[in-house]
Amino acid sequence: MSGNAASGVETYILFTVAGTTYGLPSREVRHMEMVDKVTRVPNAPAFIDGVVFSRGQVVPVVNLRARFGFERAPYDLRTRLIVVQSASRVIGLVVDSAREFVNIPPDQVQPPHEALAGMSGRYVDGVASIGDRLILTLDLSRILKFAENLSMDLAG
Amino acid sequence: MPPRARAYEGTGVTTDNGAPFSDFLDDYFAECDDHLMGVRRLLLTLEASVGGAEINRNVLDELFRHFHSLKGISGMVELRAAEDLAHCLEEYLRALRQGDVALTAEGVGLLFDGAQTLEQVIAARRAGTPAPAIDALVSRISRIVAEGARDRAVATLPGSPQAQGEPSGSVRPAAARWRCTFSPSAELVARGIRVDAVRRRLSEAGEILNAVPRVTTGGAIAFEFDIAADLDEPTLAAWRGDGLAIEPLAAPERAGSPTPDAPAATLEPAAPADAEPGQAGRVAPSHYVRVDLTRLDDLMRNVGDLVISRARLAETLARIERRVPGSEWRAIQENAVVIDRQLRTLREGIMRVRLVPVGEIFRRMPFVVRDLARESGKRVRVELRGQGTEIDKFLIERMMDPVLHLVRNAVSHGIETAEERIAAGKSPEGTIVLSAATAGDIVRIEIADDGRGVDAAAVAARATAAGLPVPQGALDSSQLLSLLCAPGFSTRDESDRASGRGVGMGVVQAAVEELSGSLSLETTPGAGTRFTLDLPVTLAITDALIAIVGAETFAVPQATIREVVEVPVSALLQVERNEMTTYRGAALPIVRLGRLFGLPDSGRDRLHVFVIGTGAAALGIAVDRIIGQREIVVRAVADALVRVEGISGATDLGDGQVVLILDPAVLARHMRERPDRVFTATGAAR
Repeated sequence: MSGNAASGVETYILFTVAGTTYGLPSREVRHMEMVDKVTRVPNAPAFIDGVVFSRGQVVPVVNLRARFGFERAPYDLRTRLIVVQSASRVIGLVVDSAREFVNIPPDQVQPPHEALAGMSGRYVDGVASIGDRLILTLDLSRILKFAENLSMDLAG
Repeated sequence: MPPRARAYEGTGVTTDNGAPFSDFLDDYFAECDDHLMGVRRLLLTLEASVGGAEINRNVLDELFRHFHSLKGISGMVELRAAEDLAHCLEEYLRALRQGDVALTAEGVGLLFDGAQTLEQVIAARRAGTPAPAIDALVSRISRIVAEGARDRAVATLPGSPQAQGEPSGSVRPAAARWRCTFSPSAELVARGIRVDAVRRRLSEAGEILNAVPRVTTGGAIAFEFDIAADLDEPTLAAWRGDGLAIEPLAAPERAGSPTPDAPAATLEPAAPADAEPGQAGRVAPSHYVRVDLTRLDDLMRNVGDLVISRARLAETLARIERRVPGSEWRAIQENAVVIDRQLRTLREGIMRVRLVPVGEIFRRMPFVVRDLARESGKRVRVELRGQGTEIDKFLIERMMDPVLHLVRNAVSHGIETAEERIAAGKSPEGTIVLSAATAGDIVRIEIADDGRGVDAAAVAARATAAGLPVPQGALDSSQLLSLLCAPGFSTRDESDRASGRGVGMGVVQAAVEELSGSLSLETTPGAGTRFTLDLPVTLAITDALIAIVGAETFAVPQATIREVVEVPVSALLQVERNEMTTYRGAALPIVRLGRLFGLPDSGRDRLHVFVIGTGAAALGIAVDRIIGQREIVVRAVADALVRVEGISGATDLGDGQVVLILDPAVLARHMRERPDRVFTATGAAR
């Protein structure tokens, strides 16, 4: 699951949000599920779809489309909830689709281009080329930190 | 009592199964809590008998035992200050028990001070902060004991058993016999204490009569030495600190003869068998077990899962009812009912285990009041009522500070000086009544004083000065409370000891509401003030009403609801931006939950309204309709992203979907403080 440690190859889960492919290290992913009923939470930050139970725990659902500044899309059969863990926090990420695992050797991950700065520059920590595809790898702790800061801004 | 026995079983500093020292320390602190609680209770009893002819001997005996145990266990963790202080208090009690000194008000004061300092010393060790100085206190107590002993020496006939039994060091018995048990451990080895060092030390102190290695119940090895030696208290204490468990052995050649210098009597006159917990063989069997709270939490969670599974099963059963033949359906139904009942019993049983008497909080308060009253020169009496009322352990721990704060406030701001009271035609002594009572699922704790009451004009002036919005006209008690609790009302410069180190009323209110409780105030100028804390008896599982607003479902804890009424929308009156209706002859502000949460209006012509709060704080929360009552399992909504005001948790009604639990008290407060701010809902894509 956590890739081949000896060679430094990391396993990533690939998913799409608004046409772009992103990758998260699979060791940070607890599991994936179909998005079922999400309970709305009044007064939560705008990019929060609500909460779901995941293994008995109440987990916030972050809509990555909304988080990344795109229009929300209705949930469909391809929509997935990626339940990730960072430190002691467990968060669900709603993505358009998620199907693949790939092994990416570290030398194939480049630092993000200058052009990616702006919205994504804050949580993309690398760009990997697999064949003719570009994959933006995400730094989960930065996404959650970013999200947390924003929610504090909203509360204040 | 297995957990207790594990820590002590003749082993000294470490547990015999090699458990880490920190575990042992946890046991130590828990043990100290027990003894200190006992001490507090007994001191209050003792205080009442000052100057009386008869001092209850059992009270002295019990106090003696507590201090003795505190001394012993403090020695084991090498908390010398606690050990010395406990020893000194023990000596004073010994003198009291023997009638060497009479119980005076000063003496009781010293015992109170001693107990409090001892608590501080132990708390400091726990927090890793510097301990308070004990020298002055120790010397004051020692002086009283010494004076008593001198008087006694004059008054007592020479050769009387009491005089000879006095272990002050003046009368030393012939070589006594002791059993010293040494349990080696890595920690002791690190300090250079090995069995050969112990043997050397023992042979230097006296004669080793017998030495045997033994395997303890934990499978570890221990060495038992029987020695004949003259050991004084400091030596014993030092040895105990080095991991030796020491108990006196009866001297066989003199057994049964009423010699005044029998070792047991010398060391501990009239000490009962369980005074020395280090002696496994002599520990009186007890039917109490100390349980880690997290284990109970785990059990509670398991029961919570069961409650949800049962709800799921009920749902499935309802779906297949028509497809099952009648007779078989009845059998299934009967079983389901039995499981329901058993589950409820199980749940209640586990909740009962978590309940502890509220007296645990209360008994500390007279100490606080004594100190404050002494400092401020006021006369204050504390009355405790309903100490046996039980409340969840979790709540008790979190209610300690708020109650403490309210009691401090009552002394510093409520009760007047004796002169003022006399001038007002009151008894010079003020009274603070702390009471607890259960009403259904609610525990009500009241802190009432017969002091001057809250000065509404002064509060308004102060709030205005602090830049807070103050309502026009006469303030009612709920408005007063809002101002007192407003952030910014309690200023920093007032953070003297009495008002609780800058902890304002706002913190008290927040703590109460965090526990799904509510705080209210009644005050009459010149006659007194009463703070009422309503708390749920327990948190994890509760009965709730299930309400629907539009497409959303919410749970409302039943304990927070006074009444549910059905109101036609046509009966709602628009008053400025608020809606009101009449309820029991008074106007009741109504908040439509759907509007508060930005949900689409369902256009119903009749609404169900939960009435919460009383008097001027009463508020109606309107929902589309209530669909039933359920037992719900409360799950925490912990992540900062979704922690919002007015939601106290979440639950699962059996279909796996999250249902949010409303916190009506917070909603009500929100409406009082910021009626213009509307909650907004998130735009979830569905």
